[in-house]
Amino acid sequence: MILSGLFFRAVQMSTPLLLGSLGEVLVERTGVMNMAIEGIFLLGAWAGFTGAYLTGSLLTGFVCAMLAGVLTGALYGWITVYLKQHQIVTGVALNILAAGLGIYLYRVLFGVPLLPLTVESLKPLPVPVLSELPFIGPVLFRQNILTYIAFLAMPVGWWLLFRTRTGLILRSTGANPEAVDAAGINVERVQFGAVLLSSALNGLAGAFYSIGYLGLFSNDMIGGRGWIAFALCFLGNWNPLGALLGALVFGIADAAAITLQTSGFRLVPNEFLIALPYILTIVATVLRTQFNVPASLGTPYIKESK
Amino acid sequence: MLLLDHNPLKIYGDLFSYAFRDIYNIADIFAKATPLILTGLAFAFAFRASLFNIGAQGQFYLGAVAAAACALAFPQLPSIVLLPLCALAAALAGSLWGGFAGFCKARFNANEFLVSMMSTYVAVAVLDFLVRGPLREAKGEYPQTDVLAESAWIPSVIPGTRFHWGFFLALAVAMIAWIILWKTTLGFRIRAVGRNRRAARFAGMNEQRIFIAVFLLSGAFAGLAGFMEVNGVQRMVVQGFNPLLGSEGIGIAILGNAHPLGVVLSALLFGALKVGGILVTQTSTIPSSIIAILEGFVMLFVVLSYWLQHRIAAARARRRASEGGDSR
Repeated sequence: MILSGLFFRAVQMSTPLLLGSLGEVLVERTGVMNMAIEGIFLLGAWAGFTGAYLTGSLLTGFVCAMLAGVLTGALYGWITVYLKQHQIVTGVALNILAAGLGIYLYRVLFGVPLLPLTVESLKPLPVPVLSELPFIGPVLFRQNILTYIAFLAMPVGWWLLFRTRTGLILRSTGANPEAVDAAGINVERVQFGAVLLSSALNGLAGAFYSIGYLGLFSNDMIGGRGWIAFALCFLGNWNPLGALLGALVFGIADAAAITLQTSGFRLVPNEFLIALPYILTIVATVLRTQFNVPASLGTPYIKESK
Repeated sequence: MLLLDHNPLKIYGDLFSYAFRDIYNIADIFAKATPLILTGLAFAFAFRASLFNIGAQGQFYLGAVAAAACALAFPQLPSIVLLPLCALAAALAGSLWGGFAGFCKARFNANEFLVSMMSTYVAVAVLDFLVRGPLREAKGEYPQTDVLAESAWIPSVIPGTRFHWGFFLALAVAMIAWIILWKTTLGFRIRAVGRNRRAARFAGMNEQRIFIAVFLLSGAFAGLAGFMEVNGVQRMVVQGFNPLLGSEGIGIAILGNAHPLGVVLSALLFGALKVGGILVTQTSTIPSSIIAILEGFVMLFVVLSYWLQHRIAAARARRRASEGGDSR
């Protein structure tokens, strides 16, 4: 019972990491890092909550979250892809901006409520027949709709990236932008499109924290989860299936931390349990050194002048 | 701001007139700028080697805890011994915490951006643990340490204000950073590694050692910022204080073109923004997160201005090239 509870939570907590890392894999394959990921997670959480609270519909909330992601992504993409500015620096600027904006807009709309405002979060949606299976049923098939979507998105992302013409264009843009340009494809447009796509996924991932899971918004609810999704893209070797594996491991770490905290386990102070996913990221980053990094990752593509 | 039914221009005007209204606020700008100079230097120094120390916040926290622990452990020591001791402890703690990222980079070729970023979250947990556990105030009421003994306070430059002598120490550190970068062989190597890692390797430089040295120094700068805040301003450690100091440092380093002098000037600008921002939020209904928003916009405009500069330079070069062609 405890074990199935733990794994249920692990699967649930890996949902936003899946969405975020899938977006990051797709965009980094085109040679651009989406460094605004943490800020977009937060703005997605805010927009999702606001949309859902004001309209009473979770679906609207998720759409708002994706829109907020796309808008932020458009700003990031414009500066990094078209104006060729430093990706890390632009990302840091947007993340600070988002950290301020999230709480600011919340206050503007809702003031300072005595109790945090809440919406009803996503309900579990048991899959008929499968949810009756022992152990696997409660762990995998009594999740909410967004979790199912996130898990299905990973193989779909893999298929898109490695089995379609679009995927070929994405991958070639990161590996050899000159060749893509020579083939008559607009490199900047591919990269900008990928930034928008990944930002939409990041916004959705952020909304999972606010309305998919807790049903409220707080300014520190993301707490570096965006960066963990960012790291999963590296650790998963720029492959959606690798990221899937990584997200599950992190989901387990997150779930274990939550379960141990609430179970009155006193061997290790709570603070270190909270730090567990971050420590795991460091360990994984250190151990995982052989990468097949997309060749032009992080360097803006500047067309040879005529 | 329009959303809150305020006139934005008036608010900006207020922001700056408040910041320079009286001696107390002007002095506060220097107090706010002091740790910002140091976290700005921390990022700028590593940036010169094309390394990314995103973890100044964590190094700052560790430095703050070390300084506080030192002051709480030896309250009977005279200031002249205790203050340097605290400063040293803070620098050392920050240095080791930062050096870990450098070591991972050098030994395992691990991405220093991720390692330093994640180590910040671990540092937050360490700080939380210490102020809730071993270092908790005697009353045991709030997650914070006891107030430090007066001998551990950095004296004020202008009595009655928060402007303390630590500011000049920060200036001295900026000076030292400049000397290291531009007047020593270590600095030459750091900049060479930053410019072109491959060429530096062919020239026989040991880049691994440079990585570690850069992160040790960079972490020490951020750690000293912890000493400044604890011994100069807060006089205790409170859970989760100054949570944006690290990322503000990145903004300051970029605004200051990763040059120590530029860092000092931009830290003063950010200091003024903060003082003015706090006063504006106290005198109106605008939430204090407006400061972060303003800082974010400043950074974005800086990035855009780099693009503009580049465009102007390119246009000028093109014009010169075409003129040169005509005369030939």
